[in-house]
Amino acid sequence: MDTSSPSAFVNGAFMRRYIGQKVRTVVQVIGSDVGSVVGKSTDDVQIVVRGSPPTPLTTYLEVIGIAESEKTIRAETLTNFGNSFDPANFNELCKLANGEFKHLFI
Amino acid sequence: MATSVTPDAISSVLSNPSFDSSSDRPEIVVQVVDLKPIGNRYTFNANDGKTRVKAMFTASIAPEIISGNIQNLGLIRLIDFMVNDISSKSTKYFLVTKCEAVAPALDSEINLESKSDEEAPELKKQKLEHSPANDDAKIDVSTGITLKPKQEFVAKSASQIMSEQRGNAAPAARMAMTRRVHPLVSLNPYQGSWTIKVRVTNKGVMRNYKNARGEGCVFNVELTDEEGTQIQATMFNDAARKFYERFQLGKVYYISRGLLKLANKQFKTVQNDYEMTLNENSEVEEASNEEMFVPERKFNFVPIEELGMYVNQKELIDLIGVVQSVSPTMSIRRKTDNEMIPKRDITLADESKKTVVVSLWNDLATGIGQELLDMADKSPVIAIKSLKVGDFQGVSLSTISRSNVVINPESPEAKKLKSWYDSEGKETSMSSIGSGMSPSAKNGSRSMYTDRVVLSHITSNPSLGEEKPVFFSTRGYISFIKPDQTMWYQACKTCNKKVTEAMDSGYWCEGCQKKDEECSLRYIMVVKVSDSTGETWFSSFNDEAEKIIGCSADELNKLRSEGGETNEFQTKLKEATWSSHIFRVSVTQNEYNGEKRQRVTVKGVAPIDFAAETRLLLEGISKKSQASH
Repeated sequence: MDTSSPSAFVNGAFMRRYIGQKVRTVVQVIGSDVGSVVGKSTDDVQIVVRGSPPTPLTTYLEVIGIAESEKTIRAETLTNFGNSFDPANFNELCKLANGEFKHLFI
Repeated sequence: MATSVTPDAISSVLSNPSFDSSSDRPEIVVQVVDLKPIGNRYTFNANDGKTRVKAMFTASIAPEIISGNIQNLGLIRLIDFMVNDISSKSTKYFLVTKCEAVAPALDSEINLESKSDEEAPELKKQKLEHSPANDDAKIDVSTGITLKPKQEFVAKSASQIMSEQRGNAAPAARMAMTRRVHPLVSLNPYQGSWTIKVRVTNKGVMRNYKNARGEGCVFNVELTDEEGTQIQATMFNDAARKFYERFQLGKVYYISRGLLKLANKQFKTVQNDYEMTLNENSEVEEASNEEMFVPERKFNFVPIEELGMYVNQKELIDLIGVVQSVSPTMSIRRKTDNEMIPKRDITLADESKKTVVVSLWNDLATGIGQELLDMADKSPVIAIKSLKVGDFQGVSLSTISRSNVVINPESPEAKKLKSWYDSEGKETSMSSIGSGMSPSAKNGSRSMYTDRVVLSHITSNPSLGEEKPVFFSTRGYISFIKPDQTMWYQACKTCNKKVTEAMDSGYWCEGCQKKDEECSLRYIMVVKVSDSTGETWFSSFNDEAEKIIGCSADELNKLRSEGGETNEFQTKLKEATWSSHIFRVSVTQNEYNGEKRQRVTVKGVAPIDFAAETRLLLEGISKKSQASH
């Protein structure tokens, strides 16, 4: 397994801990443009994703990239996550991965 | 040593209910009258010369009686006893737990009241009949030999006693005397003659049926003996017509000459390994003048929050609850025969703060349902015997023909429920059990999703399912399907029962009593299921196996017979392996070659809803961390 470039599971609130580092999140797409997507994080924070979105976009989008600011990600990989994703579960995962069970994640 | 009874002892005890424990009671000597065995215990009348009261020795005293220490007409000192109510009547009885013999059998019953002199001869005569040992006992005293009362009962042959007393004793009394009354729990199919004394605690309606073997009528009753053991008795045709009127709900009967067979566990409504069939030659005599301690009716209440485990099972349940609301009657058209049937829905709540809707059908809807509607504002407590649990609106209950409804029953459960409701229940907000069946239920209630276990929970507990089948949900992977097992049987296309190949051609169905040119294959197979904690074999029947394999047994058989190099049959099994499912299983104990074995049967298979599963895992994690902090 390649551990040279880990990406941390984040929701909107945890972004600020990883500015300048690689993060991984899932957003609900609100709008998209050429070269950017505006999405809502699982804890209801509006996030701007820079990068070319796949077409057509599904409701949920996974974003892996560098957190440029608290609310901006420069995307390296964008993946459609379908229309029936459970945001509450992902949000809980982020809390566990950055809290009580941080030692289990890289 | 006292040689006579304590005068007025009984009336003083009865009028002083505060004598709860015997410690502060004065010493009481009474005469034992009408001693007789009932099951492994003995009942008698305690006589203080003026008053007689029903009494019973606990089983621990039985050896004293069998050894002859305590005799009929003898005197005993009561050391420890309780005064109990006979539930059905307003009289009391003594339950004697400790006593000592004071004097051997006297000549006659002590009677200190002179005014009953004129009755005496009559009384004496009766007494003689009731205790044939009387004369013997007299002799015994003079010769110093004591006969055991139990032997006294069999000293004369049954026919002798019958002939001596024919005409002056009621038939029921004859039965009681000449035969030992067996406790229900001792009955088995291999036993010769027996007589039981039971109360009819439930009576079904007469039903007409029609099947391949003709038509007829049938009804059944539930019988309960004084120990609380229950058995179901069924009567067909002539026997049904003969006994339908005789069996009255709540009355006590002597019954003999019935047949016992193993109970069909799928349909059983009472806790007994056997059930009884009565035919025309069976004897049923009402025990009219006899008091007896048979409990009125026995309920096994299931709390509303635990109903989830019974959904769509054949097992019937008993429920007690506070009436929250009562609907007007509706008419429902029955699909099978287009008949219109009255129905009424009532909502019940219990201490689990859950509510459930019970549909009353037919007479229960119009009769007791109307009564409930009239008193609904008083929030009565009702107990219902024999309810079917369905999945309409999550969980719903329906009455069946032999269901029984009791309004404001006199039971500790009812009292407890009523006081809970009066003190806090009516202020509490309640939720329907049906809505709690969704996986997101976070209130800790037990529902379909929260009785989730891992496989090791089942395999590590070999006694699971010993009493009755237990149900669980579990998530696991199919890890192995043995390809050379018998995977299916040839089934009748109409009734799904096993068919045999007929001599010439076609298939014979024993159930339908007819031949068909074709049959269908139905799965009956075992699969190995694994999860992170272990593995075990699950038995699976047609519908569930079809979901596991992904095609019907007929299709799989076709693939197998095709053979060939690619072998689609093997591929199909391979595809089914290492896929995960949610299983609803029952765990039972089966005896095989004299060895008890756990049997896990698949009752339902569902694909995994990953979001719901994740929620369940998150719930588990948060519960665990709460517990450790």
